[in-house]
Amino acid sequence: MSIDVKMAWRNIWRNPRRSILTILAIAFASLLLVFMLSWQFGSYDTMINSAVKIHTGHVQVQAKGYKDKRSIRLVVPDPAEVGAILEKTPGVAAYSFRTNAFSLVSSKERTYGAIVIGIDPVREAKVSTLEKLVHQGNYLSAGDTDQALVGKLLAKNLLVGLGDELVVLGQGRDGSIAATMVKVKGIFSSGQDEFDRSTIHIPLKYFQDVYTMYEAVHEVVVLVKSLEYVPEIKRTVAAGIENTNKKGHLVALDWMELMPGLIQAIQMDLVSGFIFYIILIVVVAFSILNTFLMTIFERTREFGVLMALGTTPGRLTKLLLIESTTMTMVGIVIGIIGGSLITWYFQEHGIVISGASELMRQYGLAERMFPQLSVLSVVMGSGAVLVITLLTALYPALRVRRLRPVEAMISV
Amino acid sequence: MTTKSIVDLCLSLFVFVALFAKANGQDAQALVEAAVSYYRGEASISTVDMTIHRPNWERVITIKAWTKGQKDSIFIILAPPKDNGNGSLKRGREMWTHNPKVNRVIKLPPSMMSQAWMGSDFSNNDLAKSDSVIEDYTHTITGTEIHDGKKVYVIKSTPKPEAPVVWGMQKLKIREDHILLSQEFYDEDLKLVKAMTGQQIQMLGGKLFPKVWKMQKSDVKDEYTLLNYKELMFKQDLPDSLFTLSSLKNPRR
Repeated sequence: MSIDVKMAWRNIWRNPRRSILTILAIAFASLLLVFMLSWQFGSYDTMINSAVKIHTGHVQVQAKGYKDKRSIRLVVPDPAEVGAILEKTPGVAAYSFRTNAFSLVSSKERTYGAIVIGIDPVREAKVSTLEKLVHQGNYLSAGDTDQALVGKLLAKNLLVGLGDELVVLGQGRDGSIAATMVKVKGIFSSGQDEFDRSTIHIPLKYFQDVYTMYEAVHEVVVLVKSLEYVPEIKRTVAAGIENTNKKGHLVALDWMELMPGLIQAIQMDLVSGFIFYIILIVVVAFSILNTFLMTIFERTREFGVLMALGTTPGRLTKLLLIESTTMTMVGIVIGIIGGSLITWYFQEHGIVISGASELMRQYGLAERMFPQLSVLSVVMGSGAVLVITLLTALYPALRVRRLRPVEAMISV
Repeated sequence: MTTKSIVDLCLSLFVFVALFAKANGQDAQALVEAAVSYYRGEASISTVDMTIHRPNWERVITIKAWTKGQKDSIFIILAPPKDNGNGSLKRGREMWTHNPKVNRVIKLPPSMMSQAWMGSDFSNNDLAKSDSVIEDYTHTITGTEIHDGKKVYVIKSTPKPEAPVVWGMQKLKIREDHILLSQEFYDEDLKLVKAMTGQQIQMLGGKLFPKVWKMQKSDVKDEYTLLNYKELMFKQDLPDSLFTLSSLKNPRR
């Protein structure tokens, strides 16, 4: 250990209370950042995954233009072909086929416009939470025909309960009138009001029959094993489509394209988070600047003596920088360890949020949230603290060069 | 010229302009009313082929329609066979639809009135509110044109302040013999949304009438809906019992 390092180390512990306070400020800032960032990233993962599981899925294959126009004639004509591509794609957890049609849904008393969705009951249960959302009656089973699952708010608006009949009146793919009578088998509640107010689900085969769809569907919904696979799988599926004869007609869309509102909510939250972090870091930076400046004023006489003994200003700067770097490093290490421990604890046990905000509810957020410890969340916050602290320490360390030995020695 | 005479002149000019505008308004109103009663008659029975044309798709529906006065009408689909018997009844501003397969009558909720009728370019509103242009709009004649040697009035119709309408403006072209040649629909920003034009004016049901009506949205080239009158008969009267829900359920063919 060189004499400089030794001196710096001793200087730090010459005033243990001040040094410990400085270290703690740094440690606390990085602890907070590690936890908050993990929390934020974790909540996004939870948010995205629970939102896509209600209905959208991570990736969808649709006819080009269907996303915006929603015309019943824009179909995926051969879903089995897309299914075959998905079977071969690694990382796909499950996939299902769906058809949609805007129709009139009418009970004895009332009529509302709603989106009638044809689902494959068995496959659907694997890609979405629909089965678990049915809180009254039962989910559809494989052989069902004229049975329907109705959203809670729609059921309330239509004044229907289990076993009641609904008339569905819409337009088929060939332009003919699609009309049928279905029985309410179950009532679901997703927490997303829009979804609960405007959708009913009927078996896919029955839908294809009523709306003269033949084998065609509107959406192939894909659930992937982990969020980070999404871009890769989207690429693979898009490439797979290119090899079929439907090239140029079908598109693969990811959840960001399917739910632009969700990604915007996340970006907004991220921005407000960053503003908070910047404020936190600035506060810490000022307290550290204060400590370092005080050190210099207090030790002016000492520096004067050192300089009179022949210490170069450069060496003094170096000494001060070693002191501040050491304190910063110790603080950050403590912060990272503490932050990771706290995060890890909550990652295992979850944090219960009662009264989650409306925005979160809208995206079907679970009540229990899990922070997600990752290299990024650990490195980002503490890295920012490190850089800012070192920059702050630079100022007093350079200021010391301006000291004149004689003047310095006579100051207190 | 003294100040007084200038004021007098201005005043008389103002009165003249106001009178003229009022007369013009009355003229336009009368013209629109005449045109509507001309094409609707007292009562009518017609058979129409509706062709819905889309870029890679086309469909023809044959409809039989009865109308009475300016408010009541009933349509029954005759062909294609799959849709035979489906009907819509319109009374005033309300509309019901009936499907023989499920044998139920459904009243269209207000939110559905701006939806397309049978996937065509006509909305339920277009059908249900055919007299709305008389009641909900104020009309001014903005110009005249000559078509086939006959004078044609161009009329700008703006909705009355409280009127329950979706359009920001309509432009009508009415020939001097009260035949409606075209009707253009504009949104609140006065941008053209869709236009209906009458073509092939010929003797139908005892008077000159455009045999073909074309409705086309302004933003798409290759999409339109044609109404082609196969038969048209004007009557003095039709029984009220024709325009009821039970008649919708058991249509006379």
